[in-house]
Amino acid sequence: MSSKTFKCKVLVGGNASGEALICRQAFTFDRAVEPRTGVVADVRSEIAGASIRGKVLFYRRGKGSTAGSSWLVEAIRLGNGPAAVVTENPDLAAAVGSCVAGILYGRAVPVLSGIDARVFVKTKAGSIARVKGDSIEVVLAG
Amino acid sequence: MEILAKVGDAVGAESLVSIRSAHIQADYLGLHDSGIELFERFAASDEKFGVPTTVNPASIDLDGWENLGVPAEFARKQIRLCEAYDRLGGIRSWTCVPYQVCNFPEAGETVAWAEASAVVFANSIIGCRTNKVMAGLDLASAILGLTPKFGMLLDEERVARVAFAAPPGRFSDLDYGSLGYTIGKISGSKVPALDGIPTEATSDDLKHLGAAAASTGSLAMIHYVGITGGSHSFQKAAEDEKVERVDVSRSDLEAVEGELNQTEETPDLVALGAPHLSVSELGSVARLLEGRKVKRGIKLCAYTSQQAQEMATRAGIRADIEAAGGTLSHGTDADVSPLKAMGFRVVLTNSALLAETLLADGSVKVRYASLRDIIGEISA
Repeated sequence: MSSKTFKCKVLVGGNASGEALICRQAFTFDRAVEPRTGVVADVRSEIAGASIRGKVLFYRRGKGSTAGSSWLVEAIRLGNGPAAVVTENPDLAAAVGSCVAGILYGRAVPVLSGIDARVFVKTKAGSIARVKGDSIEVVLAG
Repeated sequence: MEILAKVGDAVGAESLVSIRSAHIQADYLGLHDSGIELFERFAASDEKFGVPTTVNPASIDLDGWENLGVPAEFARKQIRLCEAYDRLGGIRSWTCVPYQVCNFPEAGETVAWAEASAVVFANSIIGCRTNKVMAGLDLASAILGLTPKFGMLLDEERVARVAFAAPPGRFSDLDYGSLGYTIGKISGSKVPALDGIPTEATSDDLKHLGAAAASTGSLAMIHYVGITGGSHSFQKAAEDEKVERVDVSRSDLEAVEGELNQTEETPDLVALGAPHLSVSELGSVARLLEGRKVKRGIKLCAYTSQQAQEMATRAGIRADIEAAGGTLSHGTDADVSPLKAMGFRVVLTNSALLAETLLADGSVKVRYASLRDIIGEISA
């Protein structure tokens, strides 16, 4: 098993680890994630049907409505939020959602941006990601 | 203050700056129980909005949700959000187009607005400055009258980084949405400039273009060449930096129609709105319906603001739409309504924003067509 460490910009700090869930597309929590299950409902998404619960969620960038943050807060409230969110371009929905979840429930999740785009190419399903401050170690599966 | 400070830290804002107005979300569909908690926490501590604050559509028709199939529990939660909003001293606008009816910023002023479509309109056409203020941050900004200074509030972040040319020729209402949808997708996180919009484009057309662009993009602004202040050319919009140029073709627009049409089934809801229709758009609906009747089994609903509905009522437009079997609904919109729970299965719309929103959770099937084609199909 090989691992690679990436440096990122920290939007919301913290440490977390979990299975890497990689979406090579733009992403929104608004409607596309079902808060009661954490499952990605948008059938057009390449991670459709997967659960974000406990995962280190990678996507390229945010998109869409300003409700993205509140859908993330609700998923976190119900215990179905991701362990961390990592993006290439900063996603304000994730940053604001995490901050609000921290204030309401003491459950902010790390949010990072500026991840090297190669992570989207190289990381296979089943890889593990460990977020520690501004670094992310990705332990590649098989 | 904690929310503002934490988000300010997250985005690397150097300071908090004063805002002249806020526009926030208070729809239960988007905010959920955690959103009620946040609202009620502020309301219970006797906080008041520090600046004039308007609000996006509610998830139910506040004048008569009882007969529309909305689950009572859902409606009660929306009403709790409304009550908390009232206690905080908000203006009861319940519209996604505050800039058309009740919240009129000046060019250059700083505001904190939620609702991505309104944000794009504000930055691109009005020329005021706002980030796409996410739910939660919007409420905190409205109360304190402050917002973190970053992103679209900074000159250097407002410069165009990619240039689009619209295809030549006449545009239908659908083409504006399809063009916006394409621009949002391609521009990603970059601020786009757009040239070649037909001169006859109305501010309503640009409202739908911007809404569609925000549904697929991260953008908060589009430099409409010749319309957006200071952007007389691609070069001006990009401040003389060389940027990638994308020529959007008619086949790109047709591809969007393919993407947003999921079925050929007969609709049970025709949803016109998202963003709310203006009184002149309601007039267009009435004219197309003249002498026709909406077919049985199809509900046609035009979503609008209270003000536009009142003007449409006085002008006889509402009576014309109702005579044809259509309905008006104000203060709510299809993109924040629990459509599946209300019994709808197939939604036909000319709003790319609505189509994209509904496709995200697959709760109903979606069709996307121009207003003319819609009226032709669903009425006789």
